Amino acid sequence: MNALEFQSVTKNFGNVRAVNNLTFSIPSGSIYGLLGPNGAGKTTSIRMLMQIILPDSGVIRTFGQDQNNGYLDRIGYLPEERGLYRKMKVKDVIAFFGELHGLKTSEVRKRTNFWLDRFGLADWAERKVEELSRGMQQKLQFIITIFHEPDLIILDEPFTGLDPVNAQVVKDTILEERKRGTTIIFSTHLMEQVEKLCDRICLMNKGRAILEGKIQDIKQKFGKNHVIVSYKGDSGFLSDSSIQSYNDYGNYVEILLKPKADPQELLKKIVKHAEVFRFELVEPSMHEIFIETVQAPGGDKNE
Amino acid sequence: MNKIFTIIKREYNTRVRTKGFIISTVLIPLLFLVGFAIPVIATLMNSEKPQKIAVVDRSGHIFSKLQSVFTDTLKNGERLYGFFQVKAEGQGLNAVKNQLTKEVEAKQIQGFMIIPVDVLDTGKIQYYSKNVSNFSVNERLSRGISGIVNRIRLEKQNLDPALIHTLTKGVKLETFKVTRSGKQQKDAGATFAVTYILVFMLYMAILIYGATLMRSVLEEKTSRVVEVVVSSVSPFKLMAGKILGVGAVSFTQMFIWGMTLFLISVYGVGMAASLGAGNVLAKFHIPPLDPVVLLYFFLFFILGYILYSIFYAAIGAMVNSEQEAGQIQTPIVMLLIIPIMLIIPVISNPDSTLAVSLSLFPFTAPIIMFMRISVLMPPVWQIMLSFVFLGLTIWGSIWVTARIYRVGILMYGKRPNLPELWKWIRY
Repeated sequence: MNALEFQSVTKNFGNVRAVNNLTFSIPSGSIYGLLGPNGAGKTTSIRMLMQIILPDSGVIRTFGQDQNNGYLDRIGYLPEERGLYRKMKVKDVIAFFGELHGLKTSEVRKRTNFWLDRFGLADWAERKVEELSRGMQQKLQFIITIFHEPDLIILDEPFTGLDPVNAQVVKDTILEERKRGTTIIFSTHLMEQVEKLCDRICLMNKGRAILEGKIQDIKQKFGKNHVIVSYKGDSGFLSDSSIQSYNDYGNYVEILLKPKADPQELLKKIVKHAEVFRFELVEPSMHEIFIETVQAPGGDKNE
Repeated sequence: MNKIFTIIKREYNTRVRTKGFIISTVLIPLLFLVGFAIPVIATLMNSEKPQKIAVVDRSGHIFSKLQSVFTDTLKNGERLYGFFQVKAEGQGLNAVKNQLTKEVEAKQIQGFMIIPVDVLDTGKIQYYSKNVSNFSVNERLSRGISGIVNRIRLEKQNLDPALIHTLTKGVKLETFKVTRSGKQQKDAGATFAVTYILVFMLYMAILIYGATLMRSVLEEKTSRVVEVVVSSVSPFKLMAGKILGVGAVSFTQMFIWGMTLFLISVYGVGMAASLGAGNVLAKFHIPPLDPVVLLYFFLFFILGYILYSIFYAAIGAMVNSEQEAGQIQTPIVMLLIIPIMLIIPVISNPDSTLAVSLSLFPFTAPIIMFMRISVLMPPVWQIMLSFVFLGLTIWGSIWVTARIYRVGILMYGKRPNLPELWKWIRY
């Protein structure tokens, strides 16, 4: 069963087509990456899913059903722009959102202690939100998102502002939630996170889905024509005729070979000019796929 | 429905617990009480002492009659004024004056007066006292002795003082308030005072709590918390919950204030009388607040608050800062100020075309119609029509403002102009 389906969904704001004939589906229990540059239509899509705005045309199905009012309580949403009631106490804020999602007061109290403990905020329960550090507020907001045990969690850049330790706690929690059968939508620009966590992705640009499917399938489609080279010395080989494009990361260069170019030939050329530490034939990273697809003429076209 | 209740509960609890709310809610009734209690307390505190006054009666006409005229008593039944005669013959007036001045200074007597020989012609008496600005004593002495002098003058002309008194009796104007029900009640202008207080309460409450709601919407928007909230409750329910929540806060306050005013007006006079200061308040003549008027006060407060608050909510959603909000809310504030500027013409002529039309126009109706009701009950059909117009306007305004609100709370950046606003409404 699919936790979420978009079928030919379109949304206009005046003359701007924010979402254009968008179709994708998310299987239950998967971690799904919703990717795309700024202004691609991700937030608009999420807001339509949350019924904050309505699509102009197309169908959105949640948990196998057409949209109705009941399902919002089964969703947890962590928006990119964070914010909480600054003047309220931590435990009151949690209780407010818990009750807003239909939890009983007794249940709220029990879970509050559990989650505050888990995220090291137990001593802050009686403090006002504004007294918390930025990282603590992030954690509090994450707690609120998953507090009502939703079946679908939408996380928009969940790791920004978190130190590695807290990011680890959040990541572990996400994976635990997935084990419970929860579906997770992950919206982010951090392609490493996507590669590590996601099963499937949808890459959006200018309101359209330009790439959709399992990460493995997508990578295979792009083929093993990427080479990672770590070297010291003359970089003149980068202008070789067998190279379509390259991306210099400083410590290494990721090279996209022209179709049918032979990587072994390239290696021979490089060794002549430079000292090679690493030469690896790889699948393209999501980062490369992202940039290539978004910058490609096909990915850029609007209509 | 549960979600709206959760929103209402949060709005109510976070506001009612603030120091500002508690202080203002208690302080205003306290001010009412103090304003009412000052004359009462002043009367109770003013422990009148017996006035022992020396009289140097050089005319020989006055002293003998003084005690029979000044029969005023203290609360314990003791006489207020005690006169005793001091003869000036033999010692010279100045010596007597010096002697009596010393006695006044030593507080053995409160004062002394010197009645000249020709008092009947000049009509002048000198009164010496430590406290010559005690008006009640001065006025009482002047009135009493004038009476005595007039009487003697009349008798000298062989005229009957009683007859003259009857013939020259003045005319006293008594005013009555005529109400629609045909009842007539004595009125001393105090109705206006109560109307003023209630009208200002109505105006201030709508203005202050409208702005409170606006700030609350703006705060959710700028802190971005609104995006999380609307992901579990529809924007319309959120707006409704906030309006009702802040409304409940303001109603709590208005109810406490209104009931205090009501209880003072109904029981205050009686309580003051039981403390022995009733005669003071009788002069003020505070009419008991009609419960029907109080009911209309609450009704118009609720409707007026809802009408204005939905616009304040939309403004809060449209703007990005308090400064912007300040500019854009001017037209709304103007609509609220108009009735206050017209308070005099409406109160003095509550049936005029101006008053009637403004009491039906929804944006001025809550205040103007209430003004009319508290001065002179308008025909029932007019009140009902005013309610109907208000209800329809609220219904239509919600339709428009809810759309602006829905789009506005998630829009950041430039404030929308009118064409953009129109687009928002159609989204």
